[in-house]
Amino acid sequence: MNVRSGWRRLTRPTRVVAAIGALLLAMVILAAVFAPLLAEHPPNRTSGAPYLRPSAEHWLGTDDLGRDLWAQLVHGARVSLTVGLAAAVIATVVGTTVALVAGYRGGLIDAVLMRITDLVLSLPFLVLVLVFATFFGRGTTVTIVLIAGVLWARPARLLRSQVLKVRELDHVVSAATMGATTPRILARHVLPRLAPLLSSQFVRAASVAVVVQSGVAFLGLGDPGRVSWGATLFFANNASAILTDAWRWWIVPPGVALCVLIVGLAFVGYAVEEWADPRLRTGGPRPGVRRRLDPEPPRPAAEEARLEIRGLTVRYGAGPDPVTAVDDIDLVVGRGRVLGVVGESGSGKSSLVLAVTGMLRPPGQVVKGQIMMGDTDLRRLGREGLTRRRGRDLALVPQAAMGLLDPTVPVHDQVAESARLVRERRPAAARATEVLDLVGIPTARHRAFPHELSGGMRQRVVIAMAIANDPVLLIADEPTTGLDVVTEAAILRLLQRLRDDLDLDVLLISHDLPLVTAIADDLAIMYGGRIVERGAVAAILDHPEHPYTRTLLQAFPPLDGPRRLPQPIPGDAPDLALVGAGCPFAGRCPEVVDVCREQHPDLLGRDEHRVACHVESVS
Amino acid sequence: MRRSLRLAAQYVLVVVAAFVLNFGLPRLAPGDPADYLAPPDSAGVLTEDERRDILSRYELDGSTGEQFGAYVRNLGRGDLGVSIRTGEPVRDVVLDRLGWTLLLVGTAVVLATAIGVTLGFAGGWRRGSKRDIGLLTTVLAVDALPAFFVGLMLLLVFSVELDWFPVYGAISPGELGSWAAMRDAATRLVLPVATLTLAGAGSTFLVARSAMVTELQEDYVFMARAKGLTERAVRRHARRNALLPVSTAALLGFSTLISAATVVESIFSYPGLGSLAFDSVVARDYPVLQAVFVLLALIAIAANLLNDLLYPVFDPRVRAAGSAA
Repeated sequence: MNVRSGWRRLTRPTRVVAAIGALLLAMVILAAVFAPLLAEHPPNRTSGAPYLRPSAEHWLGTDDLGRDLWAQLVHGARVSLTVGLAAAVIATVVGTTVALVAGYRGGLIDAVLMRITDLVLSLPFLVLVLVFATFFGRGTTVTIVLIAGVLWARPARLLRSQVLKVRELDHVVSAATMGATTPRILARHVLPRLAPLLSSQFVRAASVAVVVQSGVAFLGLGDPGRVSWGATLFFANNASAILTDAWRWWIVPPGVALCVLIVGLAFVGYAVEEWADPRLRTGGPRPGVRRRLDPEPPRPAAEEARLEIRGLTVRYGAGPDPVTAVDDIDLVVGRGRVLGVVGESGSGKSSLVLAVTGMLRPPGQVVKGQIMMGDTDLRRLGREGLTRRRGRDLALVPQAAMGLLDPTVPVHDQVAESARLVRERRPAAARATEVLDLVGIPTARHRAFPHELSGGMRQRVVIAMAIANDPVLLIADEPTTGLDVVTEAAILRLLQRLRDDLDLDVLLISHDLPLVTAIADDLAIMYGGRIVERGAVAAILDHPEHPYTRTLLQAFPPLDGPRRLPQPIPGDAPDLALVGAGCPFAGRCPEVVDVCREQHPDLLGRDEHRVACHVESVS
Repeated sequence: MRRSLRLAAQYVLVVVAAFVLNFGLPRLAPGDPADYLAPPDSAGVLTEDERRDILSRYELDGSTGEQFGAYVRNLGRGDLGVSIRTGEPVRDVVLDRLGWTLLLVGTAVVLATAIGVTLGFAGGWRRGSKRDIGLLTTVLAVDALPAFFVGLMLLLVFSVELDWFPVYGAISPGELGSWAAMRDAATRLVLPVATLTLAGAGSTFLVARSAMVTELQEDYVFMARAKGLTERAVRRHARRNALLPVSTAALLGFSTLISAATVVESIFSYPGLGSLAFDSVVARDYPVLQAVFVLLALIAIAANLLNDLLYPVFDPRVRAAGSAA
């Protein structure tokens, strides 16, 4: 990751802030480097009469001892820069180490380290530095060590809270379960998540160090050998410069210089934080993307279809090289039927779900197509309109992740919150109890917090939220991923039961073909953003036509029949950015012929079975 | 139950450590009070006998062990000794100042937290928007200013040039307890509180904003949107969770502001513990310094204790972990 690409990754306002910060810092650094050239008088020896007003000889006049104030200004930059950077480095290194050890090891070590941290934090900072300064002397090195010795505690305390949270994240827990060593987990998983807070804390440490140093000097306890901005202000304050007009050249310049340095530090630190933060790439509003809708009015969905998707195309990025994640696909969820969409990760199935539910966020956008429920095109509803449909007649059950439920709210309240969308408070609470019973949560566990429930239980709660308002269409995106086999079977049975009892139509998305065929009526196989084969489950299982479908079937052991070793699919899932004109599977296909690389095959056949392949066709 | 016992044990240790440190630190400083009363280079002013007399009057003539014994005994009796500088009982001097510091810092902490959290959540919710960047840069700039410089400038503008507020002190000499006296005290509180609030709001803002940004990445926010909640309701979930790190930051801010108060009180000649501490450092007034030191530490430890007690109320996960441990 070089600096140029990092710079391009920053948003425009952030670049402005970074540039201003760099400019301010550069001023101070230049003053520090060229101080002897910039000032002809010494900063801490008499070079004129006391209390001189600004003149050609003394640009900012002289202080009560006849020392040149301009010289004090430029030489002060050296003291502040040295103290700030040195103290920040020491404090951040110590603080991070303490936070990692305490947060990750937990137990007694954590308790002891945190009490020490609290003790350091509790002691009145400045008084401590003052007392130490009188004992150890007032040299600059001593000041640095003293400040760092107190400063490390704050990053330690804040970073530890973050470590505690990161430690519980799914992928960190699973890395630990899979036997990754602690230093590796800390370096690979924990530290990167700390980076934003860490960099902001580093900058804070640097500016606090600068402020404390000047504060100590302002109280008259600074390094007597070196004149700093704080010391200049101390002499000014002692000489009551505030009550005469001498404040204009005696108080304001060093004060402003301090502000320039600290503001510069803060701005640059902010830019560094944005740069180090990978969340920036997905978050934050982008230049608005206009919804492009087909000019002709939408054709209502067929009578027997609950959801009809026509020509849906999803793209990420609007620039010169957008990635097409979903490419012109047609799908139908029939009334009273379960449609299973199967594909590897990277096939575009998650983008499909996000597009249908209106949850796609920039840079992703639907560039073409209709999503028809009855005679309504969901795309034409806009964000607010779709929010009103979601959780009412359209419900989503996402992947069973640890954090789907708000950790601070009892599950019953979270289900009631869903039910509340169409009810008053009391009926909503009653409805929550009802659906929690329906999905099989024991009454005694209704008031539990999410962390008190097992993964399977939590997913049942998610399903309860989804069905709270009697949806007609349930979209389940990998609803059992992350659950063990027994729980997975139970969740599937629950989905089937709900579908029968509540007259739900289901769009089930999964990478797991056997799982999908267990409950689906219709099947669509997705590859590289396209549907390569679709039709009734029985038709496809009996005669899989697309070479990809066939390899997919061989990749899973059969549920019954003789045992044989599953065959891995040769090659890698396609990089959606590289899919060109031809068939997306061409690169891995055992039956590939020349035309496959040049022309995309159309989805041909009858309604109960269609395939998109140049070599095979539905017989 | 076990969690509270362990917490109690930990805090007893911290308080004991604070008392020991409190005894040791001032004694690490070179010179003794007799030097301050009569500097060594002005020889002849004080005879050896007079020196010994002074030291024994303040129980400073024994070995360190004996001095510590006396310190603990007196602490137990609530006797904090006599100020070397003024000769008044330390307990009276310190208690007299305590209220003013609590008033000053307490008001500033409440204001700084309210402002920081409100603006921080607003910025983090729409991270990267014009409003966010505007807020952020303003806060970064204002927060960066050193408290003493802000104080000096406020004093310069509002007291010296505009003459809106008195230059120093917490109350005017004269009658106490009247309505006018309270108004007077409130007026004199404005500038120091403003200085401290400006010094404290920034860090709360940054923590609140960062916490909001972090929470918005969480799966439950996705789920909240998926289940059809309005953005307002989604924000309520995120806010609730983002308050966890913020509560820690706000209570830690208490200790920071107490430190900042040392300088601010000195500038505004505000009769709090901070200016007392500074005066006592300069004068090596051990008994007063010790009392101030221990009081400030106790206030900060209390803020930490409050954080430890409140955290489980906000975060059910910690509540469970605590009772299981």
